[in-house]
Amino acid sequence: MMSGPLFRIIGLWSRQTGWLLAGLWLSLAAVVAAVGLMSVAGMTVGAAVLAGGLAFPALLRGLGAARVVLRYSERLVTHDAMFRALADMRVWFFGRLARTSAGGLGFRQAGDVLARLVGDIEALDGLYLRILLPLASAVLLLPALILLLGHRVPGLATEVGVLFAAAAFVLPWLAARASGRTGTGLAVEAGALRVAALDALTGLREVRAFAAEGRMLAAVQAKEGALLTAQQAMVSRTALAGAASFLCAQLAVLAVLIDAADNPGAAIGAAFLVLAAFEAVGGLTRAGALAGHASAAAKRVLEAADAPVPVPDPADPAAMPAAANLSFEGVEFRWSPDRPLVFEGLTLEVPQGARVALLGPSGSGKSTLAALALKVVAPRSGQVRLGGADIATLPAALVRARIAWLGQATHLFDDTIRQNLLLALPDAGEPALWAALDAARIGDMVRALPDGLDTWVGEGGTRFSGGQGRRLALARALLSPAPILILDEPCAGLDSDTERAFLETLNETASGRTVILITHRLTGVERLDRIFRLSGGKAVAAAG
Amino acid sequence: MLLWHVLGTVAAIGQAFAAATVLTAAFAGSLLDARALAAFGVLAILRAVFSYLNERAAFAAGAAARRRLRSDALSRLLHAGPALLRVRHSGELATIVVDKIEALDGLFSRYLPAQIFAIAGPSIVLLAVLYADSWAALLLLGCGLLIPVGMAIAGIGAAAASRNQFLAMARLQARFLDRVRGIATIVLYGRTEDEAASLGRAAAELRVRTMRVLRVAFLSSVVLDLAAALAMVVLAIHYFGLLQQGHRADLIWPALAVLLLTPEFFAPLRTYSAAYQDRLHATGAAESLVALPPLPEPDPPRQIRNIEARGVSLAFDNVVLTWDATRGPALDGLSFRVSAGETLVLAGPSGSGKSSVIEILLGFVRPDSGKVTINAVDITDLVPQALSRLTAWIGQRPVLFSGSIRDNILFARPEATAAEVTAAAKAARLDGFTAGFPDGLDTVIGEGGYGLSGGQAQRVAIARAFLKNAPLLLLDEPTAHLDPATEQEVLDSLRRLAAGRTVILASHSSAATGLGGRRIDLRDGKAVSVRGVA
Repeated sequence: MMSGPLFRIIGLWSRQTGWLLAGLWLSLAAVVAAVGLMSVAGMTVGAAVLAGGLAFPALLRGLGAARVVLRYSERLVTHDAMFRALADMRVWFFGRLARTSAGGLGFRQAGDVLARLVGDIEALDGLYLRILLPLASAVLLLPALILLLGHRVPGLATEVGVLFAAAAFVLPWLAARASGRTGTGLAVEAGALRVAALDALTGLREVRAFAAEGRMLAAVQAKEGALLTAQQAMVSRTALAGAASFLCAQLAVLAVLIDAADNPGAAIGAAFLVLAAFEAVGGLTRAGALAGHASAAAKRVLEAADAPVPVPDPADPAAMPAAANLSFEGVEFRWSPDRPLVFEGLTLEVPQGARVALLGPSGSGKSTLAALALKVVAPRSGQVRLGGADIATLPAALVRARIAWLGQATHLFDDTIRQNLLLALPDAGEPALWAALDAARIGDMVRALPDGLDTWVGEGGTRFSGGQGRRLALARALLSPAPILILDEPCAGLDSDTERAFLETLNETASGRTVILITHRLTGVERLDRIFRLSGGKAVAAAG
Repeated sequence: MLLWHVLGTVAAIGQAFAAATVLTAAFAGSLLDARALAAFGVLAILRAVFSYLNERAAFAAGAAARRRLRSDALSRLLHAGPALLRVRHSGELATIVVDKIEALDGLFSRYLPAQIFAIAGPSIVLLAVLYADSWAALLLLGCGLLIPVGMAIAGIGAAAASRNQFLAMARLQARFLDRVRGIATIVLYGRTEDEAASLGRAAAELRVRTMRVLRVAFLSSVVLDLAAALAMVVLAIHYFGLLQQGHRADLIWPALAVLLLTPEFFAPLRTYSAAYQDRLHATGAAESLVALPPLPEPDPPRQIRNIEARGVSLAFDNVVLTWDATRGPALDGLSFRVSAGETLVLAGPSGSGKSSVIEILLGFVRPDSGKVTINAVDITDLVPQALSRLTAWIGQRPVLFSGSIRDNILFARPEATAAEVTAAAKAARLDGFTAGFPDGLDTVIGEGGYGLSGGQAQRVAIARAFLKNAPLLLLDEPTAHLDPATEQEVLDSLRRLAAGRTVILASHSSAATGLGGRRIDLRDGKAVSVRGVA
């Protein structure tokens, strides 16, 4: 049931070993108390019938009380331990993702991939409470069961032991395998449903204009039908495993009953013991199905976390230059070996303080240029120079500190306006925040809000219009003290009127800084010093 | 579903009785009671079958509910139409239609059945215990009643508290997702470590707060555990005393039966308490469903207005439209006339009302006052299908659906023949770039497929319009996001599309001359100047 990736995830919790083990011991003790209570109750009655047999009323009361107390403390400690482990796992994953694939993913706008990864992390939440702890109980109960039954009737102990192993290990393992396989299918069907729903809703205008409401509804229902069919197959299989596990328990009880004639007193205790022990592991088939999912999720999470660092920092970084002129010298670049070259000998000089536009149709590598300057990717040959120094010899963090980037993928966080701005300059004072907002021409709008700077921007900035959101992002970029401002299609997603208004704002701000505007077309309102056109992997100066 | 629960419980009672019979017989020194043993085995198989059927029935109930709710939610959204996109993000709406409705599954497949059976199950077991031993039945009833009473005392606010805890958990997950989505922004601002630390801090704070809540919330399950353990201990000691005093053989059977039934008595209550989480999951999802716009009452049957149209003329007469009262009217008494086959250019800056004119003609919105007529018929009298048949529309950025380019063109008229699609693609000059694709028109685009540039996407939209072949063509800044060279090519295609049709082109001034025709300049929802021949 456990696979390599799951073990590695468990390894991430090492800082919480104490808590996790405490939870484990308490949970085992609670199971012992529960099983003990049932079997001692049975033994008590058996003893009474046989007159003179040993009885344990005091033990019974003790076990009853212990069961209640242990169960309560177990729940508290295991939940606390789980929360600690989950927090560690999230922080770890965030750090790894930031180190490895984040820049690239962010540039290629793979927001859905990231959302799916977060879903995978959530799928690992149940690992400790719902999979590991019941499994540990089963591991403890199997030898206990064999010992307790075996000292009297070895044959019975073998039978019950085999049945218990089947219910606690074999069937859950089968369920895990089945769910690991169908889990992928389920994810595909769920993805198809999501795409169909998103199509219908993003295309609401098209749908209405072409009177396609009925067709879109039918398309979504068809995808839903496929998902439900796949889910049903999965449920049937899990239910079958569950029923089989139940039958194992019943067979074990039957074996005890058949054996009762020899020693009826002990048989009562044994019957209750077996019932309680199987009851304790009854949820394991479900846990097995869950483990199949979790294992697949763990694999994807680790793959993302282990992705290679695209541009490792130099071991022995050079000193940061003082100047901030940016130049590209004979840069050659492709995203991957099987894709065509984006740049073939790109040479481009952006003097400090210049306002430059880079034009080119989509696919000409405009955004790649920003990625190169920000050290998100490295050129295959040639150099990118900042203040004269090859940025390959400089630490990425320091290069990025000189460049404020506003792109299509610039994210507004589901936080207050203040916190969103402070990302650029954590110790900025209130006047600096207002200055940045005013420069981005959104200060008055924010002042008019009842909560001002403490207004929540909503998920992805949804509480504001596209133009307002882009201005907030601009204000954040302006707040950053970086001398170079790269605006990568800053108007993507804005309607044409809002776009012009935004660009007019830009003309009067950011004075004194280098501004590199990357766009597929000029509207005519931009104020620029130089214009370059990207074509054939090179930059050509165009008429200003 | 309830049926399988009840049958399962009845079978469990039968099993307890059978097991007690076997054990009692063993004490009497007689041979094994084969009939009771067989009954135990048969009932075990029946219970396994019942539980299997029950799980399938539970899934079916959840699936039926999801299917119904999803159709309902999507119908409401489709009905509310494009105006919705002015206030909500389509991704957020898709989350409601897909994920939130999935989250409701547990409510229908687990929580609601468990809630009903939490009373029915113990009652059935109690009847069986009453048959075996009335004193024990009384004790179990007492312990059973302890649970709601105890929960009420221990769990004052526990439900509300655990709901808050659940919400806090959901918020932490949302925060984590938000930070991961924006991870490029964080990395490029060099704030990775601060953000990681603050994620850790938020999680720690949440844990402390959550544990404070859980300490109380778990007390309600302590009551359940306490009642179950108390019943077991008291019953065992009670029978121990009785049996030891008198060696009464007739007491063995009831004692065993009652003890075997006691866990069955509490099992439905445990299931119910475990399913509470499903209810919490559902609450948040249900709230976002309720907040969706309602479906209107179905229109009273009226005479269906259709227009038999070769050519379309239209007129705006003193039309007023207000989107948002605080920002004033978008159209403020606008009047104009367009005759069949004519091209009209609507020019003007942002907010002058160009798009509002187009959206009224598309039926996305109705004017507040004034009259819009198409071929002298009031637009509000037209059934949506008739209006849709009259118009073709090309916006700033067409939405392309997942699927092939051919599917996307067919969207305009699903019943069109392959030859018609090819002709439309040719007319829109799509063949220029599809020839370079591996599967031509059948190339799959969108996520995981080929991406199309803005100009290419616009050509697909033009092909749709060609295929639809509607007499009225509405163009809303169709070249606003294209580079100059592409803009000229697209305008060229649009000119051919416009031939012989009535055209309304909303455009910022520079591109407005591309199609020729008469021009109206709009400012603040009013016509300020009219150029060209009327």
